[in-house]
Amino acid sequence: MIFATLFKQLVRRPATNPFPVKYMPRSVTGLLGKVAAGKASIHPPIPAPVDLRGKIAYDAEKCIGCQLCVRVCPAKVIEFLPEEKKIRMYVARCTFCAQCVDACPVDALATTPDFLLADTDRFSENLIVQAAPGAAAAAAPEEE
Amino acid sequence: MHNERINIDLEANKSAVAYSIPIGPTHPALKEPIRFSFELDGERIVGVDIKPGFAHRGIEYMGMRRNLIQTLYLSERICGICSISHPLAFTMAVEHAAGIEVPPRAQAIRTIIGELERIHSHILWAGVGAHELGFDTLLHLTWNVREKVMDLLESLTGNRVDYAIPIISGVRRDIPEEKVHLAAEALDYYKRLLQDLIDAFLHDKSVEMRTKNVGVLTYDEAIALCAIGPTARASGVKKDVRQDWPYYGFADMEVRAITPEDFGREPVGDVYDNIIVRVLEVAQSIEIIERCLETMPSGELMSIPKIPALLAALKKAEGEGIGRHEAPRGEVFHYIRLEADVEEPVAWKVRAPTYGNLMAWVPKFLGDEIADIPIIAASIDPCMCCMDRMHFVSRDGDQSTRLKEELVRLSREKTRRICG
Amino acid sequence: MTVSVGNAVWQGLIILLGGGLLGLVYKGFDRKLAAQMQGRIGPPLRQPFFDVVKLMVKENIVPDHAVGWLFNLMPVISLAAVATILFYLPLGGYAPLLGGYGDLVLILYLLAVPALAMMVGGFAASSPYASVGAQREMVMLMSYEFPLAIALVGLAWRLSTILPAGSSVFSLGVLAANPLWGLVGPLGIVGLALLMLALLVVTPAELSKIPFDIPEAETEIAGGILAEYSGRNLALFYLSDAVKTVVMGALVVALFIPYGLSGLAGLTGAAGAALDVVFFLVKLFVVVFVSVIVVRVGFARLKVNQVARLFWLPVTAFSFLGLLLLAVDRVI
Ligand code: SF4
Ligand code: SF4
Repeated sequence: MIFATLFKQLVRRPATNPFPVKYMPRSVTGLLGKVAAGKASIHPPIPAPVDLRGKIAYDAEKCIGCQLCVRVCPAKVIEFLPEEKKIRMYVARCTFCAQCVDACPVDALATTPDFLLADTDRFSENLIVQAAPGAAAAAAPEEE
Repeated sequence: MHNERINIDLEANKSAVAYSIPIGPTHPALKEPIRFSFELDGERIVGVDIKPGFAHRGIEYMGMRRNLIQTLYLSERICGICSISHPLAFTMAVEHAAGIEVPPRAQAIRTIIGELERIHSHILWAGVGAHELGFDTLLHLTWNVREKVMDLLESLTGNRVDYAIPIISGVRRDIPEEKVHLAAEALDYYKRLLQDLIDAFLHDKSVEMRTKNVGVLTYDEAIALCAIGPTARASGVKKDVRQDWPYYGFADMEVRAITPEDFGREPVGDVYDNIIVRVLEVAQSIEIIERCLETMPSGELMSIPKIPALLAALKKAEGEGIGRHEAPRGEVFHYIRLEADVEEPVAWKVRAPTYGNLMAWVPKFLGDEIADIPIIAASIDPCMCCMDRMHFVSRDGDQSTRLKEELVRLSREKTRRICG
Repeated sequence: MTVSVGNAVWQGLIILLGGGLLGLVYKGFDRKLAAQMQGRIGPPLRQPFFDVVKLMVKENIVPDHAVGWLFNLMPVISLAAVATILFYLPLGGYAPLLGGYGDLVLILYLLAVPALAMMVGGFAASSPYASVGAQREMVMLMSYEFPLAIALVGLAWRLSTILPAGSSVFSLGVLAANPLWGLVGPLGIVGLALLMLALLVVTPAELSKIPFDIPEAETEIAGGILAEYSGRNLALFYLSDAVKTVVMGALVVALFIPYGLSGLAGLTGAAGAALDVVFFLVKLFVVVFVSVIVVRVGFARLKVNQVARLFWLPVTAFSFLGLLLLAVDRVI
């Protein structure tokens, strides 16, 4: 009988995963600042399995510039930089299929369980994967 | 469209004046855009016209401009729920065309993920159905138990949807020993849950009141309109690709099409029968997965493990191939044509299950009431954007209907153009 | 009954405000508890207040083909009608404010007004969904009014046979002051229980809640009668729904469980009154919980013909049986 379940549910914990905070804070950045400073706490995200296909990590040292990843990428995420013979990835387009990881002959690419990638700027530093970390701002992104 | 309009004698019966009510393209009962125009007599439906074409995305066209590995992931995105069914049919078609073998272990893994998808899809459908009946509690409870299989899929494949498991010539990820127990655990969970599902959906008085003898598709209608999948099986048509055209390990397992008779009910083809078939298919899928896990063959995952080699092999390949797979909603069919020295498929044709079941809506709707529209619409478990074949844009704006003859002519022309 | 005008106005305002607040608070509980039973977290308790405020500041859209004045008038009438009922209900230990100026029959009529107003509003909106909803509301109204009337009249009639001739048995105040449970024999008690059951079944129908929410049926007719309403008008309907919940609950409490605790606890004066008010709120909550919240999460929506059949056959039969038992009880 469904009613038994319903009444049991009254005292059980809800199945929904809680939002980071219960109510929308007045200022999100303010809250995040406080959290960083240890003055406030938020519900942590639900842990993802280790082999989740999340953001792709790129080890430029290993990369030999063979462009195989560029060929197999279904979403055309990867741009080949002919001068350095390296690649640059625009994560905002990525479908997280990890086909590039399979294709890379020297294991320069790897999946990470990092999935919290929402951003208001699709060219933000976090969403561009390339050789020297932090150099994203310097290389002016071209619109596709 | 066979549209039995009932002749109305205005003088004889003033209350029988039919009026029409539009449902869609956006409406709370529809999860995806499609347009119904219902002719009503009071609350009774006396005519229905169905207009698809709001969600065409041109995926086939896009796929014909990408190499086969890229197209594979595009095929995965035809449908979010069937996100293994389309890649399976696609890889099957390509392997058929290029003559590539799939190692036995890869076949077993494909089967397992495919059946897990069936479990999650059917449970999802049950929740949607409950919502359409105004039974939101059942929706929330069923979707809560669905999380278990989603978690399992996530840990086996690396994602909740769009599993990215099959690749032409095999599969990309193994199911290692240490993960087998996760699967076993989830299967046990669902075995225990099955009776609850049956109680909540098949023995609940208010669900019975709303689904029995509602949305009837008779055996003959199902045959005549070429209904497929659970929709056909609910009408008693013993039709299942896994039974009729066994692929992978299904031949050894002797999968049988499930009909309401397995529940001890003479098939009527109503919504209740649809529920029976889907609930029992969850049980069937559990069995299939268990057998796969027990008899899992060892060996390779891919017959051509190196991507450059695979790309080269595919580039050389020439010929046409088909792939058929019993998706949760019915048969999904892919046709592909490859030419040597062309990386892209020269032709790619997808038939999603909803396409086969669209016409079944008409007899299902006729004679029922407005209140039944949502659950009947949901009963075939429609997926509009997988199904939409064309989008009609016209400059003069007023003409939005093309008749059959013209469509046939246009598509013949297109086929000729594609096939040279 | 003579109440000074100034006093009456004050009390009236308090009752109105209290009724509105209470209605929204119960709505908050309704949503929270329903969510909890469905395994969700649900909105905060004060969400209904946010909703009303938000609706109030939103644009009030009148469809092009609608009959404007009717369309705009109906929400006001609906709220006014249910708010008026508040004055006839004994709240807590207090006798109804307007007890002397109307009775149960008036309440019966007033209760039908919001449904009628929604119906007229639905027709005035001239949208197919709203029209279908309005037709359904009509059928609903015809189905549940009958058992409701039987239950109310039955109670009053039985009381009239007990109280001295000339007492105004149709006044809720009198009914609440003389709970019937203690005045009738065992058969009568069974009869009363049946009438109470009938009233509890009518309550969700009166409030258009699942399984009887067919005039609004979100998945079928996209909100039906309310499909075209927005902004201030929708807020008024929302409020009148909230107040109506309180009214229906209070009606059941006044008719069947009008007991107070102050006598038992031996409290008098302000403390006793406060205790009674709190106890009243608890009773109200229990009634709403049983007949609205649990029912609305535990069933699927019925179809209009099923609702009609349900009310015309079993529920009417039950209330008749209750009436019969009350009559037999009197003879014995
Ligand atoms: S994960 Fe897929 S979409 Fe993302 S970069 Fe790699 S190949 Fe492209
Ligand atoms: S496949 Fe690997 S080595 Fe080749 S370009 Fe891409 S990242 Fe570099």
